[in-house]
Amino acid sequence: MRATTADREQSAIYTYLICLAAWAIPGAGHLLLGRIQKGVTFLVALTLMFLCGLWLEGRLFPLEIRQPLVALAALADMGIGVLFFIARGAGAGAGRVVALTYEYGNAFLIVAGLLNMLVVLDAFDITQGRK
Amino acid sequence: MTSHLGLMIVFAFFVSIVFATLMRDEPKQQLRFGAQLFAAFVVGGITLGWILYFFPL
Repeated sequence: MRATTADREQSAIYTYLICLAAWAIPGAGHLLLGRIQKGVTFLVALTLMFLCGLWLEGRLFPLEIRQPLVALAALADMGIGVLFFIARGAGAGAGRVVALTYEYGNAFLIVAGLLNMLVVLDAFDITQGRK
Repeated sequence: MTSHLGLMIVFAFFVSIVFATLMRDEPKQQLRFGAQLFAAFVVGGITLGWILYFFPL
């Protein structure tokens, strides 16, 4: 039986929603797909990594297109999803350049975002039946 | 907990957990692969640190 156009559109919307959820809340995509153990692991590990970055006085970079490296760091930071905007809204992640742990904090924040992007790709692969 | 080594170990711990969970499906395999990754990150970091020690800026 061939899939109709409506079926394919519905499947695409479902895939996008899973990816959106996976981006917004680390591990949410896997949780929605029934991969509970993986979802909970991502949720705990990535959230803790992000919080460690804030604790280490890292900076949540602003999206400044005029400074390409700052913009790239901002995109990586935003990879963690809603947590980024909550932290920005709460005034966290200002970054204290003179702090001993400033660069470590940045590394934690940026890598947490990048790892969450990998998690989103993994959720996408699962929806496509590749895993 | 602000030493280079301590923070590197914490960083390696988180990255190992996420990679192991991504790349293995069974919890037992995840634990094994995660431990291997963690050891590789820490030993690799210390080795690289010692190599760079002989090339000061």
